[in-house]
Amino acid sequence: MAQYTLKPDMSFARELQEAGGDSLKRCYQCATCAVACPLAPANAPYPRKEMVWASWGLKDKLMRDADLWLCHNCGNCSDLCPRGARPADTMAAARNMIYKELTEPSIVGRWMSGASGLPYLFLIPAVLWLLIWSIRAACRGSWFPRAADGRIVFGEIFYGDYTIDPVFMITFFGVCFILYRGVRKLWKMFKPEGELLVIGKRKSWICHLVGVLTDEVVTHRKFDDCENGPATGKAAANRKFGHMLLVYSFIILAFVTAVVALGHWGGKIIPAIEIHTPMPLTFPIKILANIGALLMLCGLAALTWRRVSLDRANHASSFYDWYLLGIIWLVAATGILSQSFRLADALKPAFVAYYFHLVFVWMLFAYLPWSKLGHFVYRTAALVYVRMYGRS
Amino acid sequence: MAGKIGVYFDMQNIGGGLDVEALAAQTREKWGELVPVVKTCPVLACAAEEIKADITDKELDGVLLCGASFRAECDACRLPVQVEHVNLREQCVLSYKNADGSPPDFSAGAPEDLAAMARDYVNMGVVKLQKSELSDSAAVAGIARVLVIGGGVSGLAAAAEAAATGYEVVLVEKSGQLGGAAVNIPVTSPLAPDWTDKQSANLNMKISAVTGNPGITVYLDAQMRTLSGQPGEFRATIATGQGPVSVEVGAVVLATGWKALDDKYLAPMGLGRLPLVVSAAQFGKMLLAGNVSARRIAFVLDTTLAEDAARETAPAEAGEAGKPAGAEAEEPVEKFVKEDLENIRHLAYSNAVNSVGMLRLANSVCEQTGDATQAFILYKNMTVPGILERFYKKMQDRPGIMMTRADVTAVRDGGGHLVVECKNTLLGMDFDLEVDLVVLPTGMVPTTAKEAVVQFDYRQGPDFPDLRLVDGFADSNYICFPYETRRTGVYAAGCVRQPMTMDACEEDARGAVLKAAQCIEAASRGVAVHPRSGDASYPVFNFVRCTQCKRCTEECPFGALDDDEKGTPKPNPARCRRCGTCFGACPERVISFANYNIDQIGSMIREVVVPRDFRKGGPRILILACENDAYPALDMAGMRGRAWNPYVRIIPVRCLGSVNAIWVSDAMSKGFDGVMLLGCKYGDDYQCHFVKGSEICARRKENIAETLNRLGVQPERVEQLEVAIDEYDKVPALIDGFVGRIMDMGPNPFKGM
Repeated sequence: MAQYTLKPDMSFARELQEAGGDSLKRCYQCATCAVACPLAPANAPYPRKEMVWASWGLKDKLMRDADLWLCHNCGNCSDLCPRGARPADTMAAARNMIYKELTEPSIVGRWMSGASGLPYLFLIPAVLWLLIWSIRAACRGSWFPRAADGRIVFGEIFYGDYTIDPVFMITFFGVCFILYRGVRKLWKMFKPEGELLVIGKRKSWICHLVGVLTDEVVTHRKFDDCENGPATGKAAANRKFGHMLLVYSFIILAFVTAVVALGHWGGKIIPAIEIHTPMPLTFPIKILANIGALLMLCGLAALTWRRVSLDRANHASSFYDWYLLGIIWLVAATGILSQSFRLADALKPAFVAYYFHLVFVWMLFAYLPWSKLGHFVYRTAALVYVRMYGRS
Repeated sequence: MAGKIGVYFDMQNIGGGLDVEALAAQTREKWGELVPVVKTCPVLACAAEEIKADITDKELDGVLLCGASFRAECDACRLPVQVEHVNLREQCVLSYKNADGSPPDFSAGAPEDLAAMARDYVNMGVVKLQKSELSDSAAVAGIARVLVIGGGVSGLAAAAEAAATGYEVVLVEKSGQLGGAAVNIPVTSPLAPDWTDKQSANLNMKISAVTGNPGITVYLDAQMRTLSGQPGEFRATIATGQGPVSVEVGAVVLATGWKALDDKYLAPMGLGRLPLVVSAAQFGKMLLAGNVSARRIAFVLDTTLAEDAARETAPAEAGEAGKPAGAEAEEPVEKFVKEDLENIRHLAYSNAVNSVGMLRLANSVCEQTGDATQAFILYKNMTVPGILERFYKKMQDRPGIMMTRADVTAVRDGGGHLVVECKNTLLGMDFDLEVDLVVLPTGMVPTTAKEAVVQFDYRQGPDFPDLRLVDGFADSNYICFPYETRRTGVYAAGCVRQPMTMDACEEDARGAVLKAAQCIEAASRGVAVHPRSGDASYPVFNFVRCTQCKRCTEECPFGALDDDEKGTPKPNPARCRRCGTCFGACPERVISFANYNIDQIGSMIREVVVPRDFRKGGPRILILACENDAYPALDMAGMRGRAWNPYVRIIPVRCLGSVNAIWVSDAMSKGFDGVMLLGCKYGDDYQCHFVKGSEICARRKENIAETLNRLGVQPERVEQLEVAIDEYDKVPALIDGFVGRIMDMGPNPFKGM
């Protein structure tokens, strides 16, 4: 009688161990983790099954598992694991593997998987923006030109219409396309083999997306569920606060960017809504932008503090974790520095800071599909998927 | 015979409104000269000096302590004379309830039924002591030499340990070299802290430690021819290449190990049928020779396939085996034929050793190939004994080792490779596994299942009795008395006792040597080793009346009695465990212990006051309770406030095996309305300290029933009930139920005659 033939892939298990799940072999399948998890559903709960798939190197099983994304990584399972197998880290490592392998070009995924790829990741935008700077400097006759009225205006070098906007728009739509393909692939992987029969009324995936956004993302409800999990007897810093600040700062900054873009390009058609940059500090949009920056700093500080104070015995931090925190720190720091230098009329430092700001912002967004930040798309996609098929 | 008895009442332990002074006065009045001292002590435990003074002043030769159970304060008074206890606390006051079942009211003094019970118990105690005496010594030489049979890891460790303890050692090894099964296992599972890594077995070191020790004599290519005598003065005859050698030894450590289960049992899993299926032993040899090229290996610990197949063929085989046995029975001379006890269950018994062994083999192959090998361990029960859990943890971390619980439903040829079918796995699905090699576990069959290794020159035969019950393992009551076998002075260690890993074998050997040392010392003092450690009494035979019926020699659970051609019993006190099964068996009542005998218990029974009127004074029920399990259960019930009918009188017996039918007749003629025999569970899962006692008692009860029937007494008046030591909560209901049945039957027709 032929049945499914198992193909254990030990190199995958090894990769997973390198991606942050180094303790995964220790699991002896007691299922304490699956019981401890406040989010795992009663039928086929995680992360017990993921642990055995991981140790057997069942790449196929693990990569196709929507439950990877249901996990919000509170670490209760790792705290309670009697064997120190750290299931939470294994789940995170499996997600890291998806960041690495889900989308093309895969070379980026490989660079993103460890510190050794960092120079390449940095050099691409650094060279790009230096090229733009040098071309513009040649046009303007100076590396650090002032505006006609003597102010520092970054647009003198990085002129929006021809430099920043095209680069970022291409990047934005490129990333969107890559993410679209990634999500399509992910959903296809989630789908079990054969026909999937759904009983009852079906809603469009858009309705489910709205549901996920309003019910979970905005409220951070799952974070509360994590906090309300079983007592582990171990002190754990609150995660919801920092993450929520960061998410809201991203929303605010995205809104500000959108308004400025609209004001800039729309202003060319309707002069009444035109916005000139740099905006004065008292301008409402500028105030909002600075509030966003402040929230970002607070959120970053909270999340960084939490990660630093994690109990190393039960929770490890992978390169993915540090990359994301690091890049957001750099974006925030260079952004605030450029504004500060500009206001302080420090010409050269202002341009240098702004240059790095552009480099880091580009890194943050262009590499999003392969970095941990990808979770905001993939997790949302997975949450929408499970809502569509009734697993929650 | 105690002629001057001091009776002491322990006030602090006697409640229930009992008038202790009246009890003391009653005792004085009834027994007169026999009890020159009757005292009430506020706290008995503080009166030891006073009692000792009385013993010297009044020349007391017996002391009766009335208060708590003998189990509660057995150490309170260590006195130079015979001591008996009367249990007025647990089994009298604390367990008292009114005859109608209502809770007693002690405010107006003790109820009459309770006072009557206390009087009965005190009188029974006095008469028990009166009919008891100190025994003569049965001490033997106590030869300080230990015979170790088997030169494997256990035997070597035992020899070294015994020599280090100061005993001479004679080591008998069947084969031409020492080391046993370990010869093929140079690298073993951990033997020492921190229990995480494989270790060298260091066999050569262990062997030279034994061969180089002047206190150890090693006989290679040697076998036991006979073992005769008794602990402390055994005589072993050893067949060696140079002819038989005779040597006197004090005790024996049996470490003859195991043989691998026949390959035929594993044929259903492919062994011998598929070339890529090998046994663990074969695989170990391949590994040593560096011949393992397979990169996907399944270590299959789930042997259900083989077990199911064996179950299906078992009835057919049993039928075949039945015929020659029948033919033998017709032979006039009874010749000992060893029954081969090897069977498929030995595979399951070896699971723990195989679990560790498979981990070790998987580890070695992964290590050899730098984890390029995929080692799948498919188990039903991953059983890693004790601290070897650490080894398991370490192995789990090994990248090449993958484990899952699985039902292995088939092993078949996949063309160049094997396919292992797995169901009910931890991976949440059924799957096929393609592998290049399948390794199967080893069934460890104890040598005692295949042959009579000790060759006892005993009345009951050359082999251990009843080994079928434990599938041939040289083991009896392994929870209570590890190492003990059914032959006193012979202690089993290592895999002959239970499949175990090498570290456990060494520990086991040390344990068995301690037991052997204890045995030699006990024999030299003439006291029992176990379970009645330190008991100096032993059965004494009044041969004048013996009819040579052989019941005692046949029924002794420990083969302590030999006999001559005529059948006259020949006691070996050092082999005896003092259970009294022999005197329970004796129809002529010629056997007695100095402090425990037929007349003594019979007198105690007759000492109970039985009211003539069943309706008015209530019935009387005698309980003969095994003092190992039933009696403590009754004590615990009392301590926990469980009460039972006040018309029962309890007498502890050493074992239900020691219950002689005459006691039942005594009780019936005295006018008791029922006799309850309260003892341990018997059968396959027996709990009897003396292995056979309660079973033998149940058999004798049939005869008693016949006798009663002839006399016109309903046989239902005698019942044997089983109770475990932890069943204190069930005991009162057992008693009340029996009393209820007796009440329905009405009074004993002999009452008042």
